[in-house]
Amino acid sequence: MFAFAKAADSTEVPLAEGASRSPRAGAAISLDAVAFSFDTGASIEAHLEVPAGQLVCLVGPSGSGKSTILNLVAGLLTPTRGRVLENGAPITAPGPERAMVFQDAALFPWLTLRKNIEYPLEVAGVSRAERSDRSEALLRLVHLHRFAEAFPHQLSGGMRQRGAIARALATDPAVLLMDEPFAALDAQTREILQAEVERIFLETKKTILFVTHNVREAVRLADRVVLMGTRPGRILRTLAIPLPRPRAVGDEHVTALANEIAAEIRTEVEKIAKEEADDAWVVPGAPVRVDPRRNLGGGI
Amino acid sequence: MASSLGNSPLLPSPLAVGRSLVHAARDGTLGRAIGTSVLRLSFGYGVSLVAGVALGVGLARSLAAKQAFGPLVLGLSSVPSICWLPLAILWFGLSETAIQVVVILGAMLPIAVATEGAVRQVNPLVVRAARTMGARGPRLLFSVVVPAAFPGIVSGAKLGWTFALRSLMAGELLFVSGGLGQLLETGRDIGDTTLVLAVIVSIVALGRASEWLLFARLDREIARRWGTEAA
Repeated sequence: MFAFAKAADSTEVPLAEGASRSPRAGAAISLDAVAFSFDTGASIEAHLEVPAGQLVCLVGPSGSGKSTILNLVAGLLTPTRGRVLENGAPITAPGPERAMVFQDAALFPWLTLRKNIEYPLEVAGVSRAERSDRSEALLRLVHLHRFAEAFPHQLSGGMRQRGAIARALATDPAVLLMDEPFAALDAQTREILQAEVERIFLETKKTILFVTHNVREAVRLADRVVLMGTRPGRILRTLAIPLPRPRAVGDEHVTALANEIAAEIRTEVEKIAKEEADDAWVVPGAPVRVDPRRNLGGGI
Repeated sequence: MASSLGNSPLLPSPLAVGRSLVHAARDGTLGRAIGTSVLRLSFGYGVSLVAGVALGVGLARSLAAKQAFGPLVLGLSSVPSICWLPLAILWFGLSETAIQVVVILGAMLPIAVATEGAVRQVNPLVVRAARTMGARGPRLLFSVVVPAAFPGIVSGAKLGWTFALRSLMAGELLFVSGGLGQLLETGRDIGDTTLVLAVIVSIVALGRASEWLLFARLDREIARRWGTEAA
């Protein structure tokens, strides 16, 4: 139904068709000793270099500052300390060269899908003719041209999210910021959209910062996975994922790496749980008594 | 008792009311009265709508406006609009202006309160998304915040319409003014209950017709876009 089997055709859709300029390549992003404090007292600290054209996934438990980093790069938040740079220039405000995709697609309910995709172009002052050429190309890129005149409520969750990706790509941004974009989708749709993101990434060479709770998703998509911890929110470590692209859904290397990282995150999550619960907290599964007569063998 | 009331001129039969309606329509009194009232409503409601929505958006978006006028608007919106009439008459005399002041005060404040609520309830994510696309200032307000609040603003506008109609009738009742309110008063003066009820029927019809003309299409459009149930 989504015609993803024909992905080979769609790679030929020129992304900047109708745009007067050539597609913008990714920009380098750096968080230079950045700190941000919330009114609630929570805070995050981060130092991160994202080279141009890399796909970096931020993973970690809730409260580790993944979304905050995205909002800082978007320019929606201003760091308390340090600097956020795009190609060496400080980011001071949101702008069309850094587009964001949210967990809830956040399409405008009063506009058709086409008008939604054209909205950022309208803000940027692009002419009507060029807007319509560009939205047409983007609708094809995400396989939604048949639904151009539909309102968001008439689309499925996955379609809405693809629409949101098309809208984010409309202004041909150098950086794509994705804040748990697939968290609310079912597993199948999620895998299809992961493939879509990888395809768009390979085609456009944009810098992508992708926040997720899902370690498999991170390992499948990322050039580098940034592992984050809490209290304060900070970067624990960065892992390169040197697997070839495009990556398959059930790739065993992806699975193996994901399990490794998941174990590390679990330690971090248990730390929070212990702090939030009282002393009576017991790590689940720890005091399991094993009956020696029912030994099923070590290999299982 | 029922039979005595049944024959009483105090509770005329629907047929008698119908006859009175036809009579008033034929000799033109009803038409003139409706015309006068509708003209007043159009002006008063138009002003209330523009001012009320502007005030509501201002209260929702500006902390300074909220602090300066918020409690005042909320407080005054609980004053029944007819209570303004004595003051309006002292200020403007027995005039068109006095009636309009009552209509506008009666309708504008509920519209402002409803609009403020609607704008405050706009999904912050939608606004954040628009900001990442570079929208800010008046463009953000008019192309995102107001459209997003539109269903709530329309509810406020409907509420305002009924308030405007009520205020107008009350205002027209109290002094010689032409209009449906005065025709009610005429009915009372000459002891003609059939005329009073005929005017009430006309007011019901006016309310239904205007709602249908003004809001039915908006409701359908909102339902189509937002995917909500049409009223």
